[in-house]
Amino acid sequence: MKWEIFHRTRYTYATPVRDSFNDVRLQPMPIPEQTVESFLLRVLPSSRLTHFKDFYSNWVHHFEIVEPHGYLLIEATSRVITHPPPPLPDASICSFVQMREAPNIERCFDYLRESRFVELSPEAWKLALDATVGLDDAWQAALALMRFVHGFLKYESASTHVHTHMSEVMRERRGVCQDFAHLLLGLCRSLKIPARYISGYLATETASATHAWIEVFVPGQGWRGLDPTHNCQIGETHVKIANGRDYADVSPISGNYRGTRERKMEVEVRITAVQ
Amino acid sequence: MSDETRKQAVSRLDSAVPMNETVIHPEAVSEPPPLHDWPAAQLFDESLTPEGALRPHYTKLFDALEQLGSVERNRRWENARRLVQEQGITYNVYGDVRGMERTWELDPVPFLIEAKEWRSLEAGLVQRAELINHILADCYGPQELIRSGGLPPALVFGQPDFLRPCHGIKPKQGKYLIFYAADLARSPDGRWWVTSDRTQIPTGAGYALANRLVTSRILPEAFRDCQVHRLAGFYREMQKTLASLAPLKLDNPRIVLLTPGPYNETYFEQAYLARYLGYQLVEGQDLTVRDDRVYLKTLAGLEMVDVILRRVDDDFCDPLELRNDSILGVPGLIEAARAGHVTIANLPGSSLLQSPAFMAFLPGLARQILGQDLKLPSVATWWCGQKSAENYVCEHLDDLFVKPAFRFKLPGMTADRELSRAERARLVSHIHFQPHQFVAQEWVELSTAPALDAGRLVRRPVSLRVYLVATEHGYAVMPGGLSRVAPRLGVSSVSMQRGGASKDVWVLSEQPVEDLSLLSTSGFNLELRRVGNNLPSRLADNFFWLGRYAERADATTRLLRSALRRFTPERGGGTQLHLAPLLETLEQQGQLSAYSSQSQSQSQAPAMSRQNPEALEAGLLAAIFDPRRNGSLRQLVGHLQRIAMFVRDRTSNDLWRAANQLGDLLANAPQEEILLAADALGILNQALLGLASFNGLARENMTRAQGWRFIDLGMRIERALCLCTFLDCSLRSPEADNPSVLEMVLEVADSTLTYRSRYNLLPNIAAVYDLVLLDDTNPRALFFQINQIAQHFERLPREAAEVTPQQKILRECSSRLRLLDTRELVLRSANWLASDTGHAIVDTARDLPRLSDAIAVSYFAHSEISRTGGGFQP
Repeated sequence: MKWEIFHRTRYTYATPVRDSFNDVRLQPMPIPEQTVESFLLRVLPSSRLTHFKDFYSNWVHHFEIVEPHGYLLIEATSRVITHPPPPLPDASICSFVQMREAPNIERCFDYLRESRFVELSPEAWKLALDATVGLDDAWQAALALMRFVHGFLKYESASTHVHTHMSEVMRERRGVCQDFAHLLLGLCRSLKIPARYISGYLATETASATHAWIEVFVPGQGWRGLDPTHNCQIGETHVKIANGRDYADVSPISGNYRGTRERKMEVEVRITAVQ
Repeated sequence: MSDETRKQAVSRLDSAVPMNETVIHPEAVSEPPPLHDWPAAQLFDESLTPEGALRPHYTKLFDALEQLGSVERNRRWENARRLVQEQGITYNVYGDVRGMERTWELDPVPFLIEAKEWRSLEAGLVQRAELINHILADCYGPQELIRSGGLPPALVFGQPDFLRPCHGIKPKQGKYLIFYAADLARSPDGRWWVTSDRTQIPTGAGYALANRLVTSRILPEAFRDCQVHRLAGFYREMQKTLASLAPLKLDNPRIVLLTPGPYNETYFEQAYLARYLGYQLVEGQDLTVRDDRVYLKTLAGLEMVDVILRRVDDDFCDPLELRNDSILGVPGLIEAARAGHVTIANLPGSSLLQSPAFMAFLPGLARQILGQDLKLPSVATWWCGQKSAENYVCEHLDDLFVKPAFRFKLPGMTADRELSRAERARLVSHIHFQPHQFVAQEWVELSTAPALDAGRLVRRPVSLRVYLVATEHGYAVMPGGLSRVAPRLGVSSVSMQRGGASKDVWVLSEQPVEDLSLLSTSGFNLELRRVGNNLPSRLADNFFWLGRYAERADATTRLLRSALRRFTPERGGGTQLHLAPLLETLEQQGQLSAYSSQSQSQSQAPAMSRQNPEALEAGLLAAIFDPRRNGSLRQLVGHLQRIAMFVRDRTSNDLWRAANQLGDLLANAPQEEILLAADALGILNQALLGLASFNGLARENMTRAQGWRFIDLGMRIERALCLCTFLDCSLRSPEADNPSVLEMVLEVADSTLTYRSRYNLLPNIAAVYDLVLLDDTNPRALFFQINQIAQHFERLPREAAEVTPQQKILRECSSRLRLLDTRELVLRSANWLASDTGHAIVDTARDLPRLSDAIAVSYFAHSEISRTGGGFQP
């Protein structure tokens, strides 16, 4: 499917601020599952944009606004065609024995460890074991964990914030897509299944919004997307922006400036299917 | 050690020699030097062979020491201690309230290394530096070593010091490791081992230099006879290397030393090195990034920075891409390095190779990368991330020292060598749970060397830190280094944080050594001509407040002195009438808490403490000595000391000492002995002298550059403000024209002599107020201060020709005073404050803080950093 995505973030500061330095991760990834036809980033007050690829191959756009300014507008417009592979069947695909090689596969190591928002605690390990009793296939276990997280957590908007840690999510048993993703990462990694965090967009009939899910590494199949919020494998309606160990690596806008903390943030996301 | 105990120790050395203690006898030239705790267990001694004979390379040193004789020797040791203090060599100890700025412990007996041995060490160190540079280049580049299996992924990716944002940065000339230091220890068989690699910020090269200056000065004969390699050449290589690393080819690239600030443990060294090398010492907030280029914020505007010599930790360098809670770094710095517009030495991320776990892999990597065997071995190391090593470590815990592989603190670890059964079991279980977090090393028995302890030569365990810098022709090794001495025998690691001294290291040459002039003190004056126009705004801010606090302390001392002189406890409160203006001023400034600020105008309602002489006396004493009372003299001097520390690299050591002496004067005043307020007078008089010398040093020992200008600006504003506050209170007094009140005005304004020389009569209100307000030849007069401030404004840089806000305020003040004629006061008999003079004083007192704020906005402009952050909260 072909999507046009419009994503606008506007900060309004109580008093003018200056020396604002920012990194923006909003450009969808050019990968086999999706073709990025165009991407346009607009920043006001206007400033020079530079870009680079970070350690996880995400595109990062960097800008600085030195002069005092009362607002900051960041507008990203993308056109993306999605063509995901068909979902993998719930069948034996990769045994845990085969999975043992994963830590030695290049760049899998990062996705097996604790990270900023994900912990590998005995509690998480126990939850993961209980949810996968009798399974000796890593892929089937990952699916079982996704179903488990979907049932274990209650979706409740605004119940958490962007810096909520997985341990708190596990305790409170509620959260938003980011929290679903962090918990599933923790459970998968507890069973030594490499799992990474994905930020992206999701278009549904009722709403369109930014979204988060995870990918697990399946030897022979590559990285496969699992969406614990909707309890499904990813499909045509998922557009991938960036990947990393957890939210901290893919935060869409990160930066700092000199001036007041008092500010208002408004976000608008529109995703439309185009012919 | 106090002087008294030191003297005792010395005299003991000279007369009675206790049992089992031997000292150097003047006769015993050919005998081995009898060391105090000799012989100890089978340790290698640097100066003695196992048979107890003196090693040949130590003979010249010991001959020279013998020839001095014990009296002269002790005088030299004493000199060493004094030189360290005079040079202000310090080391900050974290978490030690009193240890902020602890004097550096120098053991004046040098550590000697002979030429041949040094050559083989040198070869090994150069090879090691090259190897580490290759590994860093690979980890932050193609990562072939990980792909090929030479390095396990967990070793690199598992480390907090592997900074992902720095991956892909390509430093100029492929130099990832520009500075490198290695800690060496010599085992009982005489071999050298590397115990740790310092790849991030090799500290101590500045202390090595300081040690050398002291040691070579107190032992000039031995220094000459031993043919010691000079250090200056190494620092010259450092300068050359850094200059060659500027992104653009420039004749005179701007190189700065980025410091975490005065609270850092090695701040002294950073300031010292910056001066020696002729670089500006800057903090993160002095730098800014524009269009991926780094600039220094100066009063005159932005100046591009080409090379940064970094003393801020890796992950604190850039709050944008690295730790976002860092206030030490520069936002955008990593992007500037990525764009190749600035060189950072060493590149952030280089601390990766500091992990002891890498040592287990260096021999294999040396063969794989260099095709050579490792010339200088590391202490035997096992990284538990490998199954075989994990098993070995768990079976041999008694012989090994278990450490964190990365810099996390780990559970189950103890510093003790002997583990109980339970401790061992606990450690093993933690190792099995997270093996890759643990590394184990063999214990190293350090060699011993002659050291000084209470005037006696004894043997102490030593370790050696050596320094390297990358040059055009490979790595150069500093012919010397820093030797650290453990405080007693039987210690297997030496840390400056935990106490312990250091020694100069003499690398001996087989040929006579050429003198290099960089070592002479003339090298230290490089800084001053740079002050010119490029004073960082942060320093301007500090200088300004240095001036303000110095003057406030001065004014407060004068007020308190005048008050104490007139204070007579016997009289009742009502008769302390002439004290009123003084007390009111002190109250307004917050030093006396007689009444709260809202009742300031009701001066006729006498405050409680004024009726009670004892309470008043206690209040006055607290205003001098109480460190917790706001605005007390003690507190003001404390602020002065703190700010003097911030500008220490720009001011003389004398200034620093003067501030500390003042602090000591007030802090050490014997509180219980000061029963009477009159006793405090002596201390106040001393404090005034101390402040005068501080002010004299601040004004006269600085070039008339901007630093001085800001000190003077701060002093003038504060003096004007204090004067206005006091005159306001004086005019409030119903007896403002009483000669004794006027005497007091002259005294506080330090104009008594001027008045007497000018008017041969009792103080007259018009003449007194003219002298302290309007006389532009009286350096204490208000108008004089305003004129001086105006002159400074003319000289300070500004963006446009138009009148600045601070100039506008100042012109208002100036014209107000010009129009004033104090003779009107004579015509009044009461309600003095309602006069034109009174209004002028009140208005000026109101304008001065505005003036100070306007200066801050124009020249200092700081504000806190906030984080942007953006939500994905679907």
